Amino acid sequence: MPTVRLRDASEYPDPARKLFELSKSWFNHDFKHPPAMSRVMAWDPDFGGPHGRAMKRAMAPGEWSRGEKEMVAAVVSGVNACAY
Amino acid sequence: MEGDQLWYEAAHLVGITNALNVAADGLAALPEVTAVLPLIAEAGASGAAGALFAEVRAFYARADVPSVFRFLARDPAYAADVWAATRRAFGDNRLTRRFKEALAFAVSLTSRAEWGTGFHLAEMKRLGVGDRGVMEVIGVTQMFSSYTKIADTLQLEPDMGDIAPVDDSPAPGGSPR
Repeated sequence: MPTVRLRDASEYPDPARKLFELSKSWFNHDFKHPPAMSRVMAWDPDFGGPHGRAMKRAMAPGEWSRGEKEMVAAVVSGVNACAY
Repeated sequence: MEGDQLWYEAAHLVGITNALNVAADGLAALPEVTAVLPLIAEAGASGAAGALFAEVRAFYARADVPSVFRFLARDPAYAADVWAATRRAFGDNRLTRRFKEALAFAVSLTSRAEWGTGFHLAEMKRLGVGDRGVMEVIGVTQMFSSYTKIADTLQLEPDMGDIAPVDDSPAPGGSPR
């Protein structure tokens, strides 16, 4: 159970809601609700904005494909024992 | 990266990487340990230990044997099995050996495993990964070390588990359900 109440998309300002729409294309998945992490990062755009840009830079195809990078992300999450 | 085979391979790799790191940093690198349980000398190693060392040198194309294998070789039969699993996990399969070294580097960096971080970085470079490729792995590792801690701090529950398609194929050599 999250230690905070995750707000519905409708409780966020417009710029954040636009970012929620972008997360659908990033994950190529039509979420019913924005992912919890997207909502957490949108709480403070001055943090979530640059953090999200750094993540997108890191995950963009380069010497490794996006798929390979998702696997790197998965093993890092596993080593960190993070179920999310 | 669809299909369970890739993920089974990745999981086996993560496990054996961590196992090697535990013995490398927790045992083979500690003078207090090796004073009591000395590393097996490479020079003059014969029998099972000698054969193991020859395989390790050939697999990694290097003249010396990493100390973790010299430590494990104190029990040659055990060391041979650990090595067989290591060689299998790191060999080219559906995932390439080059990419597996990147995964092992990320695992080692995430767990602050000093030996594994340096070793797998060197292996990545040896297998042709460029500086850009290394920095990409570092970037992903760092970003997801951030996301995971944010998620854990707020105890977020998984909400993206149904994105991946289900692989209905049987286990290798098995029958379809």
